[in-house]
Amino acid sequence: MNNKSPIKKLLAVKGMGAALTGFAGLIIIYIAFGLINPAVFSSNNILNLLRSMSKYLLIGIAQSYVLITGNIDLSIGSMVAMSAMISATLMTLGTNPFLAVTVALLCCLVIGVINGILVGKFKLPPFIATLSTMFVGRGIAYMVNNNRNTDAIATGVGKETGDAFQNFFYYGTTAGIYNTFWIAIIMFIIFFFLLSKTRTGRHIYAIGSNIDAAKLSGVNVVATTTKTYLVSAVCSWVVGLILCAQAGMGNMEAGNMYEMYGVAAGVIGGVSPLGGTGILLGTLAGAAVWQTLENGLNMIGAQVGIQRLVIGIIVVVAVLLDIVLRSGQFSKKKKG
Amino acid sequence: MNEVIVSMENICKTFPGVKALDHVNFELRSGEVMALLGENGAGKSTLMKVLSGVYTRDDGSLKIFGKEYGDLMPKQAQEVGVAIIHQELNMCRHLSVAENMFLGREIRGRFALNNAKMEQEAKRILDDLKIDIDPKETVGELPVSKQQMVEIAKALSINAKILIMDEPTSSLTAREIEDLFRIIRKLKSEGKGIVYISHRLEELQHIVDRVTIMRDGQYITSMNFGDVTMEQIISHMVGREIKEKFPRVECQKGKKVFEVKNLNAGKMVRNINFSVYAGEIVGFAGLMGAGRTETTRAIFGVDPKESGEIYVDDRKIEIKCPVDAIRNGVVLAPEDRKKDGLCTKLSIRHNLTLPNLDIVCNKLGVVDSKKEDALCEKAVADLKIKTPDVEVDSGNLSGGNQQKVVVGKWLARDSRVVIFDEPTRGIDVGAKVEIYNLMNELKKQGIAVMFVSSEMPEVMGIADRIIVMCDGRITGEVMARDTTQNEILTLATTFEDKKINAQSGKEEI
Repeated sequence: MNNKSPIKKLLAVKGMGAALTGFAGLIIIYIAFGLINPAVFSSNNILNLLRSMSKYLLIGIAQSYVLITGNIDLSIGSMVAMSAMISATLMTLGTNPFLAVTVALLCCLVIGVINGILVGKFKLPPFIATLSTMFVGRGIAYMVNNNRNTDAIATGVGKETGDAFQNFFYYGTTAGIYNTFWIAIIMFIIFFFLLSKTRTGRHIYAIGSNIDAAKLSGVNVVATTTKTYLVSAVCSWVVGLILCAQAGMGNMEAGNMYEMYGVAAGVIGGVSPLGGTGILLGTLAGAAVWQTLENGLNMIGAQVGIQRLVIGIIVVVAVLLDIVLRSGQFSKKKKG
Repeated sequence: MNEVIVSMENICKTFPGVKALDHVNFELRSGEVMALLGENGAGKSTLMKVLSGVYTRDDGSLKIFGKEYGDLMPKQAQEVGVAIIHQELNMCRHLSVAENMFLGREIRGRFALNNAKMEQEAKRILDDLKIDIDPKETVGELPVSKQQMVEIAKALSINAKILIMDEPTSSLTAREIEDLFRIIRKLKSEGKGIVYISHRLEELQHIVDRVTIMRDGQYITSMNFGDVTMEQIISHMVGREIKEKFPRVECQKGKKVFEVKNLNAGKMVRNINFSVYAGEIVGFAGLMGAGRTETTRAIFGVDPKESGEIYVDDRKIEIKCPVDAIRNGVVLAPEDRKKDGLCTKLSIRHNLTLPNLDIVCNKLGVVDSKKEDALCEKAVADLKIKTPDVEVDSGNLSGGNQQKVVVGKWLARDSRVVIFDEPTRGIDVGAKVEIYNLMNELKKQGIAVMFVSSEMPEVMGIADRIIVMCDGRITGEVMARDTTQNEILTLATTFEDKKINAQSGKEEI
């Protein structure tokens, strides 16, 4: 089994099929929009696309980790809002940005740990457990600044520091590409590695495939489940900071519905909500498809309503396609 | 009587890459039980799926009650009277017996369902079969054996004339099997044709009239059961002579490796004491529900213990969860491979490595793919797992090969105690022998082997010493060499006197 060509080996990786289908779809969609409006191909648009895609990639990673264990995290959007509101509020009060974002991180991690314990230890249905932390998180985001959005962060930390923060997370570029993209891509690489090459990653897949077998094989279910929710919390935290930097202030409604965008990005890329299957490369494809669609529909002048409608259809088509492809594969292997 | 009701000739069915059925012939007469035999992957299920319309054949002729069917649809097959009683029961656990029996063809009154009528009808069918089940009971609360009978009753309620039973006895106790056989005999006497698929060859003699044997998708032969010996049947199935069904190796009994003292865990594990020495396999016999599986689970730390001490190599160890057990060299290959043993959506590689990640990972927890490849290749070779490569989803393997993966994942470790819970259930003769050889290999290496099995000949053939359990207690211990099935069975049915039981129960409280 070692004499296979690298390409064959790559294709043999589970979930690669769905990911590659996603990328193929991405190319088709992108070219199709480009043919209607050539501005889609402009370098400016590509840069914007990469930046706006980054947020979806991060929440896609967050949700994928949880989905692969067969659970779901509905509190992602609320953690995004908490992150944005807590860090912005602290900065408007003049707190050092490093301290501000650290406090925001800790708060998100607390939500992650609570999710992990409720689901992993107390066996609450993940839908219910994270539904409750979703409301709690959003409530906290509202309460942080007395039910108001914050003022501009520059009012507290000064224009120079404020600009530096905003540039670091959103407006600045490195090597010609927006920092946001670099942040997302670095996190993607780290979490890709963690999921595909490490012990923890294997445990995550095992839990999603068969939690009883995993337990009997010596997997610590509580710890591993909690880890997935912590990954989700960290990604949500970063997205919150990106949104805060983009607006230059904290918005209580930040990250609304993001948990569902995360599900969509994952599912388009072949991550099964039933657990056990999917790779982050697929999530990358899913996030890219999603953003390319939104961007392309924007560029050809489609209205928001149409955009939502098309995206809704794409999710179903992607999953149906996956089922059709997989059932074809299945019958090949079927034995009597 | 005894006219041919099913006649299949030269049936072919090809799946991409696999010739599942290659010119197979099959015949079933009314009022007979036809055993369909073959190793896992021989094509038995595929053939039966053709008969029940789930698969359409590529070639060949299929006649049911003398009528040729071109593309048989599942619904059509049902209408003609073909019914499958599945190995994994297809029941809605939360619905009542009557509701299950009439699922999809509910009897309606003017406005709502006519429950009374359905229950009455269900009761009539159940009574007719002399099955003592209340139609109002929830199916999920019935024992598996009763669920199976409900499924048979359901089939009869849709006027089935051809019943296909796939491994019907695999999870029944001896008494329940007797009950099932009674029903089968009754159906037979009513002129129904029954196809009986089973790996338990010993039980065939009680009910089977004829056998059809398949191997690797091909038809081998059909015979009257009375005309052949078990050895002939097996050699037809396997395609080679199996010299010994139960290969045994003799080893010098060494020092004590494993000891369990005063283990208590719930009702089914009461005051268990035993030890296992190097160079021996200790069998655990008993009826279904005797507490053997519960004992293994308590030892391995899956279920909580009330009390009990466990020693490995005279060293006391604390096992609170499976991780503790594994760390101390005690491993368990569980009973139900689909539920507890295997991550079916994951590749063979992932399954084999799962409990061994501490071995194949570096200090940072990163998987070393070279070490992993080596581990997997060794396991595949040692256990003769039949697969093109280790990236195949374990769920796509045949039962025997799945079982080898479940067992194989524990062999990469330097374990001291290996617990096998029903390791040969539902797998074919060839794979069984390979599992036995493996246990013998462990025995030779001085590893304590604990072997739970409900198949008497197997325990007697492989284990050196047999511990018999009944009702959560150990009721006896015998040497395999000089015991009889009767002796074991007597021990396995030594229930405590109910009065004493009740008293001691009170005292404990």
